[in-house]
Amino acid sequence: METVRPTAELLDRIRAALRGRTAAEPGLPYVSSRERPPERGRQETIDQFRRRFEELGGIFLAGPPEERALQALGETLRIEGVSALFYPEGDPAARAVADALVPFGPFLLVSPADVLRADPPVSAGIQSAEYAIAETGTLVQTSREGRSQLPGLVSDVHVALLSPDRFVEAMEECLGTLSGDPPRNVSLITGPSRTADIELTLTVGVHGPRKVIAVLLGGG
Amino acid sequence: MEPRTRHFFRSAEKALADHALQVALSRTTAKFLENRAAAVAGYPGFEGARERASRIRQEALDNLDAHLARFLTEARKAGAVVHAARDGREAREIAVGIARDEGVSLAVKGKSMVAEEVGLNGALEAAGIEVVETDLGEYIVQLAGESPSHIIAPAIHKTREEVSRLFEEKLGEPYAEEIGELTRIVRRRLREQFLSAQMGISGANFLCADTGSVVLVTNEGNGRMATTLPRVHLVIAGIDKVIPRLADLPVLLRLIPRSATGQSLSSYVTILTGTRRPGDAEGPEKLHIILLDNGRTGILQGKYREILKCVRCGACLNICPVFQSVGGHAYGWVYPGPLGSVLAPLLLGLPESSPLPDASTLCGACAEVCPVKIPLPEMLVELRADGRAQGLKPPAEVLGMKAYAAMMSRGGILEAFQRIAGVVSQLLFKDGRVRWLPFGLSGWTERRDLPAPAPQPFRKLWKKQRGIRPWKR
Amino acid sequence: MVERKRVPASLFSTCLADTFFPNVCFATVAVLERFGVDLRVPLSQTCCGQPAFNTGNRKEARKMAAKFLTVFRGEEYIVTPSGSCANMVKHEYPVLFRDEPNLLTLAHRVGERVFELSQFLVEILGVTDPGSPYRGKVTYHDSCHLKRGLGVAEAPRTLLRAIPGVEFVEMEESDRCCGFGGVFSVRYPHLSCRMADRKIERILETGAQVVTSGDIGCLMNIGGTISRTGYPVRAVHIAEILAGSEGGSP
Repeated sequence: METVRPTAELLDRIRAALRGRTAAEPGLPYVSSRERPPERGRQETIDQFRRRFEELGGIFLAGPPEERALQALGETLRIEGVSALFYPEGDPAARAVADALVPFGPFLLVSPADVLRADPPVSAGIQSAEYAIAETGTLVQTSREGRSQLPGLVSDVHVALLSPDRFVEAMEECLGTLSGDPPRNVSLITGPSRTADIELTLTVGVHGPRKVIAVLLGGG
Repeated sequence: MEPRTRHFFRSAEKALADHALQVALSRTTAKFLENRAAAVAGYPGFEGARERASRIRQEALDNLDAHLARFLTEARKAGAVVHAARDGREAREIAVGIARDEGVSLAVKGKSMVAEEVGLNGALEAAGIEVVETDLGEYIVQLAGESPSHIIAPAIHKTREEVSRLFEEKLGEPYAEEIGELTRIVRRRLREQFLSAQMGISGANFLCADTGSVVLVTNEGNGRMATTLPRVHLVIAGIDKVIPRLADLPVLLRLIPRSATGQSLSSYVTILTGTRRPGDAEGPEKLHIILLDNGRTGILQGKYREILKCVRCGACLNICPVFQSVGGHAYGWVYPGPLGSVLAPLLLGLPESSPLPDASTLCGACAEVCPVKIPLPEMLVELRADGRAQGLKPPAEVLGMKAYAAMMSRGGILEAFQRIAGVVSQLLFKDGRVRWLPFGLSGWTERRDLPAPAPQPFRKLWKKQRGIRPWKR
Repeated sequence: MVERKRVPASLFSTCLADTFFPNVCFATVAVLERFGVDLRVPLSQTCCGQPAFNTGNRKEARKMAAKFLTVFRGEEYIVTPSGSCANMVKHEYPVLFRDEPNLLTLAHRVGERVFELSQFLVEILGVTDPGSPYRGKVTYHDSCHLKRGLGVAEAPRTLLRAIPGVEFVEMEESDRCCGFGGVFSVRYPHLSCRMADRKIERILETGAQVVTSGDIGCLMNIGGTISRTGYPVRAVHIAEILAGSEGGSP
């Protein structure tokens, strides 16, 4: 389908509409840099993330000892009725957690493909998150280096693994590192999948996860 | 969608008498306002962010040619095929062409106002392509064969009882009034469609010029599914959606959810740049972006440019006492509320929708909440003036105003009128209340009294008391 | 009372108050004179043109506005008991005369001197206690144009709270439109009344005996609905409460 001519004509029409403009030249920055957040130590940033994340109904689990965090995770998944666990390829940390979880319940390890069914098992998708934004309690997942979106997309419970170096204060820090040549998919995930489309009554787990769990591993 | 904007008066009357609608509206609008107020109170930087967001959007429009050109370059570089549609017909043709070329028989769709604007679903369905709405509200509305009544909560006009009956009737599901259960039904039913659809259709909240990215802000996760799982992703967006930089997003993202639903951030913000790359785990192989003009370059040119700053958060709808009273359908087209009362006349033409700018008390609440500071009441008044210039105003009103102006411009006529009114008043309205007014004015006295004109107007009494000395000492 | 310098001002009585509520004008005079204002009433004033402007009938609006500017072209303050009329002169005249440089300059000059009564008392005269003998339980309705147009919300509350005999109670949604909207109330009467009903619900919830406001239009609408239905509350203009007079109000 020919697309070049119509888009060029569109630009011509816009140019004509803007003829005689007196406004700023293109590219003039209207600062997006937000008022600098207070300088905080890493622990404070993590605490802030945790507060926001929990306000959204998320469950934040942290060691040490990591065994206890994993045990708590296992219990939570059982309570949520999870029967299957999956993790994306190339995520050794997620794989290790999934393996460690098996003894905590009758959990079946399945592949992502097994969850992409019309009638999927009640599943937990486990994945290392790339960033955790303290300002809003947001997890960030991109498609960089072959990373998958599925654990935070099609599961019933999304388990995001975090290490202390993943935490940032605000959205700018995370988007700043991505804006040069962004990966194909950058997803900011804030709380569970939710809707208020019927009578504005909040309901979770519409198409995506109904529960989001963050597990802090490796200190913190 | 066939516009019914000309019939606002009749539609509004119907809405006011629709009991179920009134129940639904009362259950929802107050909640919207509470949530927003709490979110704004919890974000001290809100006012500053409004100013910045307004400037970002203004800059994007003032230099739209440069920004859109950049967007085209970057999006194409990332693998997108970008189309331009002059109007709704072209947009539909392009979309149908894409669907045919890509061998699509089933498409899953996220919420898009622009798709409603051009009637995308109807065109695709006419071409034999099944389109399934995946946003819960849109799904309900599609099932009911209706149109959305709110830009962020499309099924706001329905009570849960009505939704339950709809699911019972159309899907054969057992009647389940509980909202969680209704949601689970939709999750189960749509999962299959997500997996088998060849194409996902979405709108765009923003198009980032410097990276060629499409930004989607959603809550349910349907938009992510529709743009991740199917082989083809079709974006349809107005040319007004461009923002200069990806780095502008945080300011806008902090404002929109707070203004719309009272969240500090929507559940999912998805920034999509181009097609699936080598080594990517998933994502569409094809990305088509249709940029829709449909009258927008015309708006850009004139005195209403600022309406294109709109980010479709719905805050002006929720706060509007008229919208709260009649809901979205009364406005007769895709965009309701104060936003719609400005945008519909500009997109459809004023003759097609002349009652809409009048459907406001000019109370100004909309402008107060607008996250990008669009002067909506000023635009409504401006459109009314355009209506008068184009001869679209009710003749009785124009005649009335001419007479009124003639009276008010000549003190003598006013004085005579006031004297007569005073005499009549003393004869007929002894208790000081007017219970009945004739023809054009009868609306006032149907349920209200009018105070009777004073026997003598103030200025006359004043003159008697104090004389005509200009300054009292 | 402290001796004050006499402040010259003109009363912008508004066509509605002039025709329907002379007592509101007299109350405005009484309050202003109580605080040493040297008040003049230009007798040739009529209407500021708001009804015509708001309906998009600009030619007619300009005619009335031009007359207003001629009448009030002096140097003194201009005080009015109506927020929306003040807002019209201050913010809409510049729109009306945007293509007429001479009148535009005059419109800006006149606009700068226009004040709504409570705003004038608090912001210009520095009044903290209106010295009113008024007694009663009072709630306040924010007129849209007074609050959002002129940004005046605190001044009337400050004054009402300072009256010893007034028990001031806030209503919910005090700044939600009452549904008046000028011609809107006649063109869309059912919508207008629906909005007025909600306003009155909020007023009744407070248990106040009196609802007051700084806008004639709102009070006509609220008062007219009360009068027809017979609700146990009265609509009284704020000038009458500040003056301590009453009667003849909507």
